[in-house]
Amino acid sequence: MHELQRLRTLHILLVDDDPDACNRIQQALGSDFHLYHAHSLIEARQHLKEYIPDLVICEVLLGKESGLELCRFIRNTPSLLYLPIMLLTSLTTLQDKIAGFDAGADDYVVKPYDARHLMARIRLLARMKNLEQQYD
Amino acid sequence: MKKVLVIDDNPTIVELIKYAVNLQSAFQVIVAYDGEEGLKSVYAENPVCVIIDVKMPRMDGYKLVRCLRGDTRTANIPLIILSAMTREEDQMTGLLSGVDEYLTKPFKPGALNAAIERVLLLTPADRQRRMDYLLQTHAERE
Repeated sequence: MHELQRLRTLHILLVDDDPDACNRIQQALGSDFHLYHAHSLIEARQHLKEYIPDLVICEVLLGKESGLELCRFIRNTPSLLYLPIMLLTSLTTLQDKIAGFDAGADDYVVKPYDARHLMARIRLLARMKNLEQQYD
Repeated sequence: MKKVLVIDDNPTIVELIKYAVNLQSAFQVIVAYDGEEGLKSVYAENPVCVIIDVKMPRMDGYKLVRCLRGDTRTANIPLIILSAMTREEDQMTGLLSGVDEYLTKPFKPGALNAAIERVLLLTPADRQRRMDYLLQTHAERE
């Protein structure tokens, strides 16, 4: 683990209408990640106007809203084109997954998640998008 | 008989892979011709190993790999990418997505069968170690 602790702090925008979700994920991820929490799409869009994080983690089910709308917004915004999006959701069907990728998500992680696995996937996804940006 | 799932939109390549895997007489080869159909087959057929092309209609191979690795039900299925994309960054994207082996086309039957044997021996701990290694490499580059 000591080697992994050398990794730089990633700034993550978590979009979830569950007030406890942020605490649970912050607990799972530890201090290596800086988490910002948006409870709605409006909050998320506002945050993205002011500050571009290293990665967005988004629940699909956001009350009457859908995380897929945020995916489409990000993919249609030139300045956010390479922003990695992970859907972290309790929706598990094939159709849900396909819809998630179609909307522009880069990764789809089903709850419940293993904390160590999630941490690794977040970092690998960030690196993958960096690579994409470099070679495009 | 244990199943190996091949996901590739090129019927000629599929036949070549079938021929290669059938040399072992150890697996039943099942086929899907695009990413979405492949994803459905993984859940329906419960294969012991999946061989995946990258460039496919509907869902590309990298996304398919990420989708499988992101669900605890499929996170530890052995996955091999067999692709015509030979650049280093393509291979790196495959590995970062969570694939166990990245082979390039054209391929030799023996190399594919050896890769299948290797990935079948991998444990969840081996995959975690690989992820840690990739992250360590990441730290060095940052």
